[in-house]
Amino acid sequence: MLELKNLDSGYDFLQILWDVSLHVDKGEFVALVGPNGAGKSTTLRTVSGLLSPKGGEILFKGKSINKRKAHEISRMGISYVSEQLNLFTDMSVEENLLLGAYALHDTEQQLKTIAFVFELFPRLKERKRQLAGTMSGGERKMLAIARGMMSNPELMLVDEPSLGLQPNLVTDVFRSLQLLRDQGVTILLVEQNVNATLEITDRAYILEQGKIVMEGPSRSVKENEHVRNAYLGI
Amino acid sequence: MSNITSVRPATLTSLLTRIKDNRPVFIVSVFSLILLIVIGIKGGPPQILNTFVSGGMWALMAVGLALVFGVMNIPHFAHGESFMVGTYVAYYVYTPLLAALGSNPNPVFKALSPFAGIIAAGLVGAILGIIVERLIFAPLRHRTRSGWVMNAFLLTVGISFVMTNGATLTVGPNFRGIPTYWDVDPIEILGARLAVDRLVAFFISGVTIALVWFFLHRTRTGRAIRAVAQDETGAQMVGIDLDFIHTLTFSLSTATAAIAGAALLFMFQAYPTVGLKPLYFAWYVVMLVGLGNIAGAIVGGFIVALLQTATQLLFTITWETVIPTIVMILVLLLAPSGLFGSEVKGIQEQ
Repeated sequence: MLELKNLDSGYDFLQILWDVSLHVDKGEFVALVGPNGAGKSTTLRTVSGLLSPKGGEILFKGKSINKRKAHEISRMGISYVSEQLNLFTDMSVEENLLLGAYALHDTEQQLKTIAFVFELFPRLKERKRQLAGTMSGGERKMLAIARGMMSNPELMLVDEPSLGLQPNLVTDVFRSLQLLRDQGVTILLVEQNVNATLEITDRAYILEQGKIVMEGPSRSVKENEHVRNAYLGI
Repeated sequence: MSNITSVRPATLTSLLTRIKDNRPVFIVSVFSLILLIVIGIKGGPPQILNTFVSGGMWALMAVGLALVFGVMNIPHFAHGESFMVGTYVAYYVYTPLLAALGSNPNPVFKALSPFAGIIAAGLVGAILGIIVERLIFAPLRHRTRSGWVMNAFLLTVGISFVMTNGATLTVGPNFRGIPTYWDVDPIEILGARLAVDRLVAFFISGVTIALVWFFLHRTRTGRAIRAVAQDETGAQMVGIDLDFIHTLTFSLSTATAAIAGAALLFMFQAYPTVGLKPLYFAWYVVMLVGLGNIAGAIVGGFIVALLQTATQLLFTITWETVIPTIVMILVLLLAPSGLFGSEVKGIQEQ
Protein backbone atom coordinates (compact mmCIF):
# COMPACT_ATOMS: atom_id res chain seq x y z
CA MET A 1 0.00 0.00 0.00
CA LEU A 2 2.77 2.43 0.98
CA GLU A 3 6.27 2.13 -0.28
CA LEU A 4 9.27 4.38 0.29
CA LYS A 5 12.13 3.87 -2.14
CA ASN A 6 15.53 5.29 -1.19
CA LEU A 7 13.92 8.32 0.37
CA ASP A 8 16.07 11.35 1.26
CA SER A 9 14.42 14.15 3.21
CA GLY A 10 15.03 16.96 5.66
CA TYR A 11 14.61 20.65 6.34
CA ASP A 12 16.20 23.23 4.03
CA PHE A 13 19.91 22.36 3.91
CA LEU A 14 19.72 19.85 6.73
CA GLN A 15 19.25 16.33 5.43
CA ILE A 16 17.78 13.97 8.01
CA LEU A 17 16.69 10.85 6.13
CA TRP A 18 19.25 8.96 4.09
CA ASP A 19 18.17 6.35 1.62
CA VAL A 20 15.22 5.12 3.65
CA SER A 21 13.28 2.26 2.10
CA LEU A 22 10.28 0.66 3.74
CA HIS A 23 6.91 -0.70 2.82
CA VAL A 24 3.57 -1.13 4.55
CA ASP A 25 1.16 -3.65 3.10
CA LYS A 26 -2.62 -3.50 3.21
CA GLY A 27 -4.02 -4.31 6.64
CA GLU A 28 -0.62 -4.33 8.30
CA PHE A 29 0.24 -2.65 11.58
CA VAL A 30 3.85 -1.52 11.21
CA ALA A 31 6.05 0.20 13.76
CA LEU A 32 8.85 2.63 13.08
CA VAL A 33 10.98 2.90 16.21
CA GLY A 34 14.28 4.47 17.08
CA PRO A 35 15.95 7.00 19.33
CA ASN A 36 15.22 10.74 19.52
CA GLY A 37 16.28 12.61 16.42
CA ALA A 38 16.52 9.51 14.26
CA GLY A 39 14.11 10.95 11.73
CA LYS A 40 10.92 9.06 12.58
CA SER A 41 8.71 12.14 12.57
CA THR A 42 10.51 13.45 9.49
CA THR A 43 9.54 10.23 7.71
CA LEU A 44 5.87 10.71 8.56
CA ARG A 45 5.92 14.42 7.71
CA THR A 46 7.44 13.61 4.33
CA VAL A 47 4.87 10.92 3.55
CA SER A 48 2.02 13.23 4.59
CA GLY A 49 3.27 15.91 2.20
CA LEU A 50 4.11 18.54 4.82
CA LEU A 51 7.76 18.14 3.80
CA SER A 52 8.85 17.51 0.26
CA PRO A 53 11.34 14.71 -0.39
CA LYS A 54 14.85 15.57 -1.53
CA GLY A 55 15.27 12.31 -3.35
CA GLY A 56 13.86 8.86 -3.82
CA GLU A 57 10.23 8.01 -4.25
CA ILE A 58 7.04 7.63 -2.20
CA LEU A 59 4.46 5.32 -3.69
CA PHE A 60 0.90 5.05 -2.40
CA LYS A 61 -1.14 2.27 -3.96
CA GLY A 62 1.46 2.11 -6.71
CA LYS A 63 1.30 5.81 -7.60
CA SER A 64 4.04 8.32 -6.86
CA ILE A 65 2.95 11.02 -4.39
CA ASN A 66 6.28 12.86 -4.26
CA LYS A 67 4.94 16.04 -5.81
CA ARG A 68 1.53 16.01 -4.16
CA LYS A 69 0.52 18.70 -1.68
CA ALA A 70 -0.45 17.75 1.88
CA HIS A 71 -4.18 18.28 1.36
CA GLU A 72 -4.17 16.15 -1.79
CA ILE A 73 -2.40 13.33 0.02
CA SER A 74 -4.92 13.56 2.85
CA ARG A 75 -7.75 13.29 0.32
CA MET A 76 -6.10 10.25 -1.31
CA GLY A 77 -6.66 8.35 1.92
CA ILE A 78 -3.57 8.92 4.05
CA SER A 79 -4.37 10.35 7.43
CA TYR A 80 -1.61 11.82 9.57
CA VAL A 81 -1.88 12.21 13.33
CA SER A 82 1.01 14.43 14.25
CA GLU A 83 2.94 14.58 17.48
CA GLN A 84 1.81 18.19 18.03
CA LEU A 85 -1.75 17.00 17.29
CA ASN A 86 -2.55 20.22 15.38
CA LEU A 87 -6.07 20.34 16.74
CA PHE A 88 -8.33 23.35 16.18
CA THR A 89 -8.17 24.44 19.79
CA ASP A 90 -10.88 27.12 19.71
CA MET A 91 -13.41 24.77 18.19
CA SER A 92 -15.54 22.17 19.86
CA VAL A 93 -14.76 18.47 19.76
CA GLU A 94 -17.60 17.97 17.34
CA GLU A 95 -16.37 20.69 14.98
CA ASN A 96 -12.88 19.19 15.04
CA LEU A 97 -14.36 15.84 14.05
CA LEU A 98 -16.47 17.38 11.30
CA LEU A 99 -13.36 19.07 9.94
CA GLY A 100 -11.66 15.68 10.00
CA ALA A 101 -14.31 14.63 7.52
CA TYR A 102 -13.85 17.82 5.49
CA ALA A 103 -13.00 15.92 2.33
CA LEU A 104 -16.12 13.76 2.58
CA HIS A 105 -19.06 15.55 1.03
CA ASP A 106 -21.52 12.87 2.04
CA THR A 107 -23.27 14.14 5.19
CA GLU A 108 -24.75 10.73 5.96
CA GLN A 109 -21.32 9.12 5.80
CA GLN A 110 -19.98 11.84 8.12
CA LEU A 111 -22.64 11.16 10.73
CA LYS A 112 -22.01 7.43 10.48
CA THR A 113 -18.27 7.89 11.05
CA ILE A 114 -18.92 10.28 13.93
CA ALA A 115 -21.17 7.69 15.57
CA PHE A 116 -18.45 5.05 15.13
CA VAL A 117 -15.79 7.33 16.57
CA PHE A 118 -17.99 8.18 19.56
CA GLU A 119 -18.48 4.47 20.16
CA LEU A 120 -14.72 3.99 20.14
CA PHE A 121 -14.06 7.01 22.36
CA PRO A 122 -17.09 7.52 24.62
CA ARG A 123 -15.19 10.28 26.41
CA LEU A 124 -15.31 12.41 23.28
CA LYS A 125 -19.06 11.98 23.03
CA GLU A 126 -19.48 13.27 26.58
CA ARG A 127 -17.42 16.30 25.71
CA LYS A 128 -18.52 17.02 22.19
CA ARG A 129 -19.41 20.63 22.98
CA GLN A 130 -16.18 21.31 24.85
CA LEU A 131 -13.44 23.36 23.18
CA ALA A 132 -10.58 21.13 22.08
CA GLY A 133 -8.02 23.43 23.70
CA THR A 134 -9.54 23.00 27.15
CA MET A 135 -9.25 19.21 27.25
CA SER A 136 -6.64 17.13 29.01
CA GLY A 137 -3.60 15.73 27.21
CA GLY A 138 -5.04 12.23 26.92
CA GLU A 139 -8.37 13.47 25.64
CA ARG A 140 -6.62 15.61 23.07
CA LYS A 141 -4.65 12.61 21.79
CA MET A 142 -7.87 10.68 21.47
CA LEU A 143 -9.46 13.58 19.64
CA ALA A 144 -6.50 13.80 17.26
CA ILE A 145 -6.70 10.08 16.48
CA ALA A 146 -10.47 10.32 16.15
CA ARG A 147 -10.16 13.30 13.81
CA GLY A 148 -7.67 11.34 11.75
CA MET A 149 -10.21 8.54 11.43
CA MET A 150 -13.00 10.83 10.29
CA SER A 151 -11.87 10.85 6.67
CA ASN A 152 -12.18 7.04 6.49
CA PRO A 153 -8.48 6.70 5.65
CA GLU A 154 -6.91 3.60 4.18
CA LEU A 155 -3.60 4.37 5.84
CA MET A 156 -3.01 6.13 9.13
CA LEU A 157 0.34 7.59 10.12
CA VAL A 158 0.41 7.99 13.90
CA ASP A 159 3.24 9.90 15.53
CA GLU A 160 4.14 9.28 19.20
CA PRO A 161 0.64 8.78 20.61
CA SER A 162 2.04 7.77 24.01
CA LEU A 163 4.21 10.85 24.48
CA GLY A 164 3.42 12.67 27.72
CA LEU A 165 0.55 10.40 28.70
CA GLN A 166 0.06 8.68 32.01
CA PRO A 167 0.44 4.87 31.75
CA ASN A 168 -3.23 3.87 31.86
CA LEU A 169 -4.03 6.34 29.07
CA VAL A 170 -1.18 4.90 27.01
CA THR A 171 -2.92 1.53 27.23
CA ASP A 172 -6.17 3.18 26.12
CA VAL A 173 -4.53 4.78 23.13
CA PHE A 174 -2.78 1.57 22.08
CA ARG A 175 -6.02 -0.36 22.46
CA SER A 176 -7.81 2.10 20.19
CA LEU A 177 -5.08 1.64 17.57
CA GLN A 178 -5.54 -2.12 17.75
CA LEU A 179 -9.30 -1.65 17.32
CA LEU A 180 -8.59 0.46 14.26
CA ARG A 181 -6.38 -2.25 12.81
CA ASP A 182 -9.20 -4.73 13.42
CA GLN A 183 -11.42 -2.42 11.35
CA GLY A 184 -9.07 -3.00 8.43
CA VAL A 185 -7.15 0.28 8.65
CA THR A 186 -3.48 0.04 7.78
CA ILE A 187 -1.29 1.79 10.35
CA LEU A 188 2.26 3.05 10.41
CA LEU A 189 3.08 3.86 14.03
CA VAL A 190 6.03 5.90 15.22
CA GLU A 191 6.84 5.34 18.89
CA GLN A 192 9.45 5.68 21.57
CA ASN A 193 7.71 3.22 23.84
CA VAL A 194 9.48 0.35 22.08
CA ASN A 195 8.39 -2.46 24.34
CA ALA A 196 4.65 -1.85 24.13
CA THR A 197 4.88 -1.03 20.44
CA LEU A 198 6.59 -4.27 19.54
CA GLU A 199 3.88 -6.11 21.49
CA ILE A 200 1.01 -4.89 19.35
CA THR A 201 2.52 -4.41 15.88
CA ASP A 202 3.06 -6.96 13.11
CA ARG A 203 6.31 -5.71 11.73
CA ALA A 204 8.90 -3.15 12.79
CA TYR A 205 11.62 -0.97 11.32
CA ILE A 206 14.43 0.45 13.41
CA LEU A 207 15.57 3.89 12.31
CA GLU A 208 18.88 5.24 13.61
CA GLN A 209 20.54 8.45 12.46
CA GLY A 210 18.28 8.70 9.44
CA LYS A 211 18.93 5.18 8.18
CA ILE A 212 16.97 1.95 8.48
CA VAL A 213 19.21 -0.38 10.44
CA MET A 214 16.91 -3.31 10.97
CA GLU A 215 13.54 -4.66 9.91
CA GLY A 216 11.48 -7.73 10.55
CA PRO A 217 8.48 -9.17 12.34
CA SER A 218 8.01 -7.35 15.65
CA ARG A 219 8.49 -10.51 17.63
CA SER A 220 11.93 -11.28 16.19
CA VAL A 221 12.99 -7.62 16.38
CA LYS A 222 12.16 -7.77 20.06
CA GLU A 223 14.43 -10.78 20.52
CA ASN A 224 17.34 -9.07 18.79
CA GLU A 225 20.44 -8.49 20.88
CA HIS A 226 20.98 -4.87 19.71
CA VAL A 227 17.37 -3.92 20.34
CA ARG A 228 17.32 -5.54 23.75
CA ASN A 229 20.44 -3.62 24.77
CA ALA A 230 19.65 -0.26 23.21
CA TYR A 231 15.89 0.08 23.66
CA LEU A 232 14.55 -2.43 26.10
CA GLY A 233 17.27 -2.10 28.69
CA ILE A 234 17.39 -5.85 29.23
CA MET B 1 -21.90 22.83 1.81
CA SER B 2 -23.11 20.54 4.50
CA ASN B 3 -25.78 21.77 6.81
CA ILE B 4 -25.19 20.01 10.06
CA THR B 5 -27.08 22.34 12.34
CA SER B 6 -26.22 20.53 15.53
CA VAL B 7 -22.88 22.28 15.71
CA ARG B 8 -23.07 25.29 17.99
CA PRO B 9 -20.13 27.65 17.88
CA ALA B 10 -18.85 28.35 21.34
CA THR B 11 -17.66 31.79 20.36
CA LEU B 12 -20.68 33.82 21.44
CA THR B 13 -21.00 32.17 24.84
CA SER B 14 -17.28 32.34 25.38
CA LEU B 15 -17.45 36.02 24.49
CA LEU B 16 -20.14 36.60 27.10
CA THR B 17 -18.23 34.75 29.81
CA ARG B 18 -15.16 36.70 28.83
CA ILE B 19 -17.05 39.96 29.30
CA LYS B 20 -18.12 38.79 32.74
CA ASP B 21 -14.71 37.51 33.80
CA ASN B 22 -12.49 40.04 32.12
CA ARG B 23 -12.02 43.25 34.05
CA PRO B 24 -10.97 45.54 31.15
CA VAL B 25 -13.88 44.28 29.07
CA PHE B 26 -16.27 44.91 31.92
CA ILE B 27 -14.92 48.42 32.36
CA VAL B 28 -15.25 49.11 28.65
CA SER B 29 -18.83 47.80 28.60
CA VAL B 30 -19.81 50.17 31.40
CA PHE B 31 -17.85 52.97 29.74
CA SER B 32 -19.65 52.36 26.42
CA LEU B 33 -23.01 52.50 28.12
CA ILE B 34 -22.10 55.81 29.73
CA LEU B 35 -20.97 57.17 26.35
CA LEU B 36 -24.23 56.07 24.78
CA ILE B 37 -26.21 57.90 27.46
CA VAL B 38 -24.06 61.02 27.03
CA ILE B 39 -24.63 60.90 23.27
CA GLY B 40 -28.35 60.41 23.83
CA ILE B 41 -28.58 63.45 26.14
CA LYS B 42 -26.37 65.79 24.11
CA GLY B 43 -27.26 64.74 20.58
CA GLY B 44 -30.58 62.96 20.81
CA PRO B 45 -31.76 59.99 18.72
CA PRO B 46 -30.22 61.15 15.40
CA GLN B 47 -26.75 61.06 16.96
CA ILE B 48 -27.43 57.62 18.41
CA LEU B 49 -28.43 56.49 14.94
CA ASN B 50 -25.27 58.07 13.54
CA THR B 51 -23.26 56.12 16.06
CA PHE B 52 -24.86 52.89 14.98
CA VAL B 53 -24.39 53.67 11.29
CA SER B 54 -20.68 54.32 11.73
CA GLY B 55 -20.40 51.48 14.24
CA GLY B 56 -21.87 49.05 11.76
CA MET B 57 -19.56 50.28 9.04
CA TRP B 58 -16.40 50.21 11.18
CA ALA B 59 -17.41 46.74 12.31
CA LEU B 60 -17.86 45.65 8.70
CA MET B 61 -14.45 47.08 7.74
CA ALA B 62 -12.82 45.61 10.85
CA VAL B 63 -14.27 42.14 10.24
CA GLY B 64 -12.51 42.12 6.87
CA LEU B 65 -9.23 43.17 8.48
CA ALA B 66 -9.60 40.61 11.26
CA LEU B 67 -10.30 37.86 8.73
CA VAL B 68 -7.29 38.65 6.59
CA PHE B 69 -5.03 38.92 9.60
CA GLY B 70 -6.43 35.89 11.38
CA VAL B 71 -6.39 33.54 8.41
CA MET B 72 -3.47 34.83 6.33
CA ASN B 73 -1.40 36.80 8.86
CA ILE B 74 -1.48 39.85 6.61
CA PRO B 75 -1.58 43.28 8.31
CA HIS B 76 -3.72 44.74 5.58
CA PHE B 77 -3.04 48.41 4.91
CA ALA B 78 -4.75 48.47 1.53
CA HIS B 79 -8.15 47.69 3.03
CA GLY B 80 -9.19 51.32 2.57
CA GLU B 81 -8.58 51.01 -1.16
CA SER B 82 -11.16 48.23 -1.32
CA PHE B 83 -13.54 50.73 0.30
CA MET B 84 -12.50 53.30 -2.33
CA VAL B 85 -13.18 50.87 -5.17
CA GLY B 86 -16.60 50.23 -3.64
CA THR B 87 -17.49 53.92 -3.69
CA TYR B 88 -16.43 54.28 -7.33
CA VAL B 89 -18.27 51.17 -8.50
CA ALA B 90 -21.42 52.29 -6.73
CA TYR B 91 -21.11 55.76 -8.25
CA TYR B 92 -20.52 54.52 -11.79
CA VAL B 93 -23.29 51.95 -11.62
CA TYR B 94 -25.88 53.96 -9.72
CA THR B 95 -25.71 57.36 -11.45
CA PRO B 96 -26.04 56.07 -15.05
CA LEU B 97 -28.78 53.74 -13.90
CA LEU B 98 -30.67 56.66 -12.37
CA ALA B 99 -30.16 58.70 -15.53
CA ALA B 100 -31.42 55.81 -17.66
CA LEU B 101 -34.60 55.69 -15.62
CA GLY B 102 -35.44 59.15 -17.01
CA SER B 103 -36.95 62.23 -15.47
CA ASN B 104 -40.06 60.47 -14.26
CA PRO B 105 -38.80 57.13 -12.99
CA ASN B 106 -40.77 54.18 -11.79
CA PRO B 107 -40.62 54.53 -7.98
CA VAL B 108 -39.88 50.83 -7.43
CA PHE B 109 -36.91 50.82 -9.82
CA LYS B 110 -35.70 54.08 -8.36
CA ALA B 111 -35.77 52.70 -4.84
CA LEU B 112 -33.97 49.54 -5.92
CA SER B 113 -31.28 51.10 -8.09
CA PRO B 114 -28.91 51.91 -5.16
CA PHE B 115 -28.87 48.21 -4.34
CA ALA B 116 -27.67 47.49 -7.87
CA GLY B 117 -24.69 49.76 -7.21
CA ILE B 118 -23.99 48.18 -3.82
CA ILE B 119 -24.25 44.60 -5.08
CA ALA B 120 -22.06 45.46 -8.07
CA ALA B 121 -19.49 46.90 -5.66
CA GLY B 122 -19.52 43.66 -3.67
CA LEU B 123 -19.00 41.59 -6.83
CA VAL B 124 -16.21 43.81 -8.16
CA GLY B 125 -14.61 43.71 -4.71
CA ALA B 126 -14.74 39.92 -4.64
CA ILE B 127 -13.13 39.67 -8.07
CA LEU B 128 -10.52 42.30 -7.20
CA GLY B 129 -9.69 40.32 -4.06
CA ILE B 130 -9.15 37.14 -6.06
CA ILE B 131 -6.89 38.94 -8.55
CA VAL B 132 -4.79 40.66 -5.87
CA GLU B 133 -4.36 37.47 -3.84
CA ARG B 134 -3.49 35.26 -6.80
CA LEU B 135 -1.19 37.83 -8.38
CA ILE B 136 0.59 39.21 -5.33
CA PHE B 137 0.25 37.23 -2.11
CA ALA B 138 0.10 33.66 -3.43
CA PRO B 139 3.43 33.86 -5.29
CA LEU B 140 5.14 35.33 -2.21
CA ARG B 141 3.61 32.69 0.04
CA HIS B 142 4.80 29.91 -2.25
CA ARG B 143 8.29 31.32 -2.44
CA THR B 144 9.00 31.83 1.24
CA ARG B 145 7.22 32.17 4.56
CA SER B 146 10.17 33.73 6.36
CA GLY B 147 9.55 37.35 7.34
CA TRP B 148 6.02 36.92 6.08
CA VAL B 149 4.25 39.48 8.26
CA MET B 150 6.68 42.27 7.39
CA ASN B 151 6.77 41.39 3.69
CA ALA B 152 3.01 41.16 3.49
CA PHE B 153 2.66 44.49 5.29
CA LEU B 154 5.00 46.20 2.83
CA LEU B 155 3.12 44.65 -0.07
CA THR B 156 -0.20 46.02 1.19
CA VAL B 157 1.30 49.50 1.54
CA GLY B 158 2.53 49.19 -2.05
CA ILE B 159 -0.89 48.06 -3.22
CA SER B 160 -2.41 51.04 -1.45
CA PHE B 161 -0.07 53.47 -3.25
CA VAL B 162 -0.66 51.90 -6.63
CA MET B 163 -4.42 51.88 -6.21
CA THR B 164 -4.84 55.45 -4.96
CA ASN B 165 -2.54 56.80 -7.67
CA GLY B 166 -4.10 54.48 -10.22
CA ALA B 167 -7.48 55.95 -9.35
CA THR B 168 -6.13 59.49 -9.69
CA LEU B 169 -4.65 58.59 -13.06
CA THR B 170 -7.74 56.95 -14.50
CA VAL B 171 -10.75 58.76 -13.02
CA GLY B 172 -9.01 61.88 -11.73
CA PRO B 173 -8.78 63.49 -8.30
CA ASN B 174 -12.27 65.01 -8.38
CA PHE B 175 -14.88 64.14 -5.81
CA ARG B 176 -17.75 62.17 -7.31
CA GLY B 177 -20.66 61.91 -5.00
CA ILE B 178 -24.39 61.80 -4.70
CA PRO B 179 -26.43 63.89 -2.28
CA THR B 180 -28.55 60.93 -1.26
CA TYR B 181 -29.54 57.43 -2.35
CA TRP B 182 -33.16 57.58 -1.33
CA ASP B 183 -34.62 61.02 -1.92
CA VAL B 184 -37.46 60.71 0.57
CA ASP B 185 -38.47 62.48 3.76
CA PRO B 186 -36.80 61.33 6.96
CA ILE B 187 -38.70 58.79 8.99
CA GLU B 188 -39.95 59.92 12.37
CA ILE B 189 -39.20 57.53 15.21
CA LEU B 190 -39.97 58.67 18.76
CA GLY B 191 -40.11 62.25 17.60
CA ALA B 192 -36.67 62.09 16.00
CA ARG B 193 -36.22 62.51 12.26
CA LEU B 194 -33.94 59.81 10.92
CA ALA B 195 -32.51 59.88 7.39
CA VAL B 196 -33.49 56.82 5.36
CA ASP B 197 -30.02 56.58 3.79
CA ARG B 198 -28.48 56.07 7.19
CA LEU B 199 -31.05 53.56 8.30
CA VAL B 200 -30.48 51.52 5.16
CA ALA B 201 -26.69 51.79 5.55
CA PHE B 202 -26.99 50.37 9.07
CA PHE B 203 -29.26 47.64 7.77
CA ILE B 204 -26.78 46.73 5.02
CA SER B 205 -23.84 46.52 7.38
CA GLY B 206 -25.88 44.39 9.79
CA VAL B 207 -27.01 42.00 7.07
CA THR B 208 -23.51 41.71 5.59
CA ILE B 209 -21.92 40.99 8.97
CA ALA B 210 -24.65 38.46 9.75
CA LEU B 211 -24.05 36.72 6.41
CA VAL B 212 -20.29 36.58 6.98
CA TRP B 213 -20.87 35.26 10.50
CA PHE B 214 -23.29 32.64 9.25
CA PHE B 215 -20.89 31.63 6.51
CA LEU B 216 -17.98 31.23 8.93
CA HIS B 217 -19.88 29.30 11.59
CA ARG B 218 -22.55 27.33 9.82
CA THR B 219 -21.05 26.15 6.55
CA ARG B 220 -18.40 23.59 5.74
CA THR B 221 -16.23 26.08 3.86
CA GLY B 222 -16.58 28.69 6.59
CA ARG B 223 -15.49 26.14 9.15
CA ALA B 224 -12.46 25.42 6.99
CA ILE B 225 -11.58 29.13 7.01
CA ARG B 226 -11.64 29.16 10.80
CA ALA B 227 -9.61 25.95 10.83
CA VAL B 228 -6.88 27.57 8.73
CA ALA B 229 -6.86 30.55 11.12
CA GLN B 230 -6.34 28.23 14.10
CA ASP B 231 -3.88 25.69 12.74
CA GLU B 232 -2.61 25.77 9.20
CA THR B 233 -0.82 22.43 9.45
CA GLY B 234 -3.87 20.80 10.99
CA ALA B 235 -5.99 22.22 8.19
CA GLN B 236 -3.73 20.70 5.54
CA MET B 237 -3.79 17.40 7.41
CA VAL B 238 -7.58 17.14 7.13
CA GLY B 239 -7.48 17.92 3.42
CA ILE B 240 -8.14 21.65 3.30
CA ASP B 241 -6.59 23.38 0.29
CA LEU B 242 -4.77 26.39 1.74
CA ASP B 243 -4.55 28.22 -1.58
CA PHE B 244 -8.31 28.03 -2.05
CA ILE B 245 -9.04 29.20 1.51
CA HIS B 246 -6.56 32.07 1.31
CA THR B 247 -7.96 33.35 -1.97
CA LEU B 248 -11.52 33.00 -0.72
CA THR B 249 -10.74 34.82 2.52
CA PHE B 250 -9.05 37.72 0.78
CA SER B 251 -11.88 37.97 -1.70
CA LEU B 252 -14.46 37.96 1.08
CA SER B 253 -12.61 40.67 2.96
CA THR B 254 -12.25 42.87 -0.12
CA ALA B 255 -15.91 42.40 -0.98
CA THR B 256 -17.10 43.45 2.49
CA ALA B 257 -14.96 46.60 2.38
CA ALA B 258 -16.31 47.44 -1.08
CA ILE B 259 -19.87 46.97 0.16
CA ALA B 260 -19.14 49.32 3.06
CA GLY B 261 -17.81 51.91 0.62
CA ALA B 262 -20.78 51.58 -1.69
CA ALA B 263 -23.33 51.79 1.11
CA LEU B 264 -21.72 54.98 2.43
CA LEU B 265 -21.30 56.74 -0.93
CA PHE B 266 -23.79 59.43 0.17
CA MET B 267 -21.65 60.19 3.24
CA PHE B 268 -18.12 59.89 1.85
CA GLN B 269 -18.28 60.46 -1.95
CA ALA B 270 -15.83 58.74 -4.29
CA TYR B 271 -12.26 60.06 -4.55
CA PRO B 272 -8.87 58.36 -4.62
CA THR B 273 -7.98 58.71 -0.94
CA VAL B 274 -11.46 58.18 0.50
CA GLY B 275 -10.31 54.88 2.01
CA LEU B 276 -7.89 56.40 4.50
CA LYS B 277 -10.34 57.27 7.24
CA PRO B 278 -12.20 53.94 7.14
CA LEU B 279 -8.82 52.18 7.13
CA TYR B 280 -7.65 54.01 10.22
CA PHE B 281 -10.86 53.41 12.10
CA ALA B 282 -10.88 49.73 11.15
CA TRP B 283 -7.34 49.48 12.50
CA TYR B 284 -8.35 51.24 15.74
CA VAL B 285 -11.01 48.59 16.10
CA VAL B 286 -8.82 45.53 15.53
CA MET B 287 -6.02 46.85 17.70
CA LEU B 288 -8.49 47.66 20.46
CA VAL B 289 -10.08 44.20 20.53
CA GLY B 290 -7.13 42.05 19.49
CA LEU B 291 -5.93 41.26 15.99
CA GLY B 292 -7.74 38.54 14.11
CA ASN B 293 -10.68 38.35 16.48
CA ILE B 294 -13.85 38.52 14.39
CA ALA B 295 -16.47 38.54 17.14
CA GLY B 296 -14.40 41.19 18.90
CA ALA B 297 -14.19 43.25 15.72
CA ILE B 298 -17.97 43.53 15.61
CA VAL B 299 -18.21 44.74 19.20
CA GLY B 300 -15.15 46.95 18.73
CA GLY B 301 -16.67 48.66 15.72
CA PHE B 302 -19.45 50.00 17.90
CA ILE B 303 -17.12 50.96 20.75
CA VAL B 304 -14.99 53.03 18.40
CA ALA B 305 -18.07 54.63 16.88
CA LEU B 306 -19.32 55.55 20.36
CA LEU B 307 -15.99 57.16 21.16
CA GLN B 308 -16.00 58.99 17.87
CA THR B 309 -19.51 60.41 18.20
CA ALA B 310 -19.06 61.31 21.85
CA THR B 311 -15.83 63.10 20.99
CA GLN B 312 -17.55 65.04 18.22
CA LEU B 313 -20.31 66.11 20.58
CA LEU B 314 -18.14 66.95 23.57
CA PHE B 315 -14.89 68.25 22.01
CA THR B 316 -15.79 69.09 18.36
CA ILE B 317 -14.88 67.07 15.30
CA THR B 318 -11.19 68.07 15.32
CA TRP B 319 -10.60 65.62 18.17
CA GLU B 320 -12.35 62.76 16.40
CA THR B 321 -9.22 60.72 15.77
CA VAL B 322 -7.27 61.92 18.80
CA ILE B 323 -9.52 60.54 21.53
CA PRO B 324 -9.95 57.03 20.03
CA THR B 325 -6.18 56.86 19.60
CA ILE B 326 -5.58 57.81 23.22
CA VAL B 327 -8.07 55.19 24.35
CA MET B 328 -6.40 52.62 22.11
CA ILE B 329 -2.99 53.40 23.59
CA LEU B 330 -4.38 53.09 27.12
CA VAL B 331 -6.02 49.78 26.33
CA LEU B 332 -2.84 48.41 24.76
CA LEU B 333 -0.87 49.47 27.82
CA LEU B 334 -3.28 47.62 30.12
CA ALA B 335 -4.11 44.66 27.87
CA PRO B 336 -1.41 44.29 25.20
CA SER B 337 -3.24 41.60 23.23
CA GLY B 338 -6.41 43.67 23.02
CA LEU B 339 -9.66 43.56 24.97
CA PHE B 340 -10.75 40.11 23.94
CA GLY B 341 -7.31 38.53 23.91
CA SER B 342 -6.14 36.84 20.79
CA GLU B 343 -7.66 33.77 19.22
CA VAL B 344 -5.19 33.63 16.37
CA LYS B 345 -1.75 32.39 15.60
CA GLY B 346 -0.61 35.95 16.21
CA ILE B 347 2.46 37.47 14.72
CA GLN B 348 4.86 34.62 14.45
CA GLU B 349 7.67 34.20 12.01
CA GLN B 350 7.53 30.82 10.37
